[in-house]
Amino acid sequence: MHVIQVEDLWKRFKIPHERRTTILENIAGALQILEGKRFTYEEFWALKAVNFTIDYGESIGVVGENGSGKSTLLKIIANILRPNRGRVKTTGKIAPILELGVGFHPELTVKENALIYGSIMGLKNSEVKSRMNSILEFSSLERFRDAKLKNLSSGMQMRLGFSVAIETDPDIFVIDEALAVGDMEFQQKCLNEFKKFKAEKKTIILVSHALNLVKEFCEKTLFLSRGEMINFGETETVVDEYVRRVRGS
Amino acid sequence: MKELFQYTELVKNLTIKEFKLRYRNSVLGFFWSLLNPLAMMVILTLVFSTLLRAGIRNFPVFLLPALLAWRFFSTSTSMSLSSIIGNSPLVTKIYFPRWLLVLSSDLANLIGSSLEFIALFPLLVFLGMKITYLALLLPVILILEFMLIIGVSLILAPLNVYYRDFNQIWDITLQIGFFLCPIIYGISLIPEGYTLAYSLNPMTRVVESIRKILYYNTLPTVADFAVILASGLLLLLVGFLVFRKLEPRFAEEI
Repeated sequence: MHVIQVEDLWKRFKIPHERRTTILENIAGALQILEGKRFTYEEFWALKAVNFTIDYGESIGVVGENGSGKSTLLKIIANILRPNRGRVKTTGKIAPILELGVGFHPELTVKENALIYGSIMGLKNSEVKSRMNSILEFSSLERFRDAKLKNLSSGMQMRLGFSVAIETDPDIFVIDEALAVGDMEFQQKCLNEFKKFKAEKKTIILVSHALNLVKEFCEKTLFLSRGEMINFGETETVVDEYVRRVRGS
Repeated sequence: MKELFQYTELVKNLTIKEFKLRYRNSVLGFFWSLLNPLAMMVILTLVFSTLLRAGIRNFPVFLLPALLAWRFFSTSTSMSLSSIIGNSPLVTKIYFPRWLLVLSSDLANLIGSSLEFIALFPLLVFLGMKITYLALLLPVILILEFMLIIGVSLILAPLNVYYRDFNQIWDITLQIGFFLCPIIYGISLIPEGYTLAYSLNPMTRVVESIRKILYYNTLPTVADFAVILASGLLLLLVGFLVFRKLEPRFAEEI
């Protein structure tokens, strides 16, 4: 059974040479076009024809150099960005942990953020409240339960994000380099959680430059380079190829 | 609509969040929001009954309900204008139907304005008005106005993601709107030839209806309700179409 099916995925970003974010700028720009100047922009394909499927109970790693499209891919899987072509089919509840934090509001307290995040993930407030203690305990943030999020360090925010996310019982974990800012103790806790997920046959998609982590947890690995899928298959082989390429060039 | 059902808890939490964030930074909180219309009332009463001698009987009662009705519209729309970009940490990190952000912002204002109207009643009595059973129509009119507000918000919020100076334009539009609606003057001042065009403005109808039930003690007409309802439905439709069209690229443009 497929948990995630990625079919012929293309994603394009337009990078204008001069960025226009106001109506005034747009009017000014339109006048320039009338005068013969062209509105120019760079087209940038972050993903080109990416195809793969993840089966039930599988975990996959995603490796590739900076700007290879890893984060874009994860955001499309999490339905935050939409592709230009192709599609992604997913079964089950997805918890994305992208680039620090999972969608928190800086002006709200730890508890309030947990409630909002929980309700985004489909939990009732009563359910979140009953799990609040284990969230705070796991993230070791008991003392900061009423602190505003903006007053927490980035490591603390990430710990909270991870702790809340695991309490919402997702089927699919989408993790983008999130563990890097946690301290050693917390990283170890997370690894133990990962082991539990795997035992429960849940899916993890892990973007990481920590190749030993990928090797430890992911049966399969996807190697992206400049938006193209270079290889997808058994982790050992793919990671070795990635390392070879990096060393070779 | 199905989404609304699925995400009731989220809408509730986001609304509470909006409401808290608005009043959190001041101890007096909600009372500050009452101070603004009250100050307006005092100033305008001074100007219109003492200086200009407009000759409107009990001017504060003439003005205040209309002012609150307009405030409901203007604060809601200008706040929900930034409801998407104001929540960029959520929009760029996790998926949920984005229009719920707009809805929650408007709902927080619905609660705020309802409280303002509740606080209005003792004041009206104090100013010598008799509250009649007609006041029961107030919630109906506010809900109809709320439809207009959501429709407009669903158009404004996504546009503001793409054009960041949209809030300036909307500010000016609201200022013009304030004088285009019969808030500080009565509809009877409008010259014959303009009345039709004038009365097609749904906010004119809202302000007039509220004034009718709280000041003139008469029933709003069927036409009042029809204009508000029809424009509300139209705005909702346009709003949903605009929103659906612009929503997919929010996370990129934000």
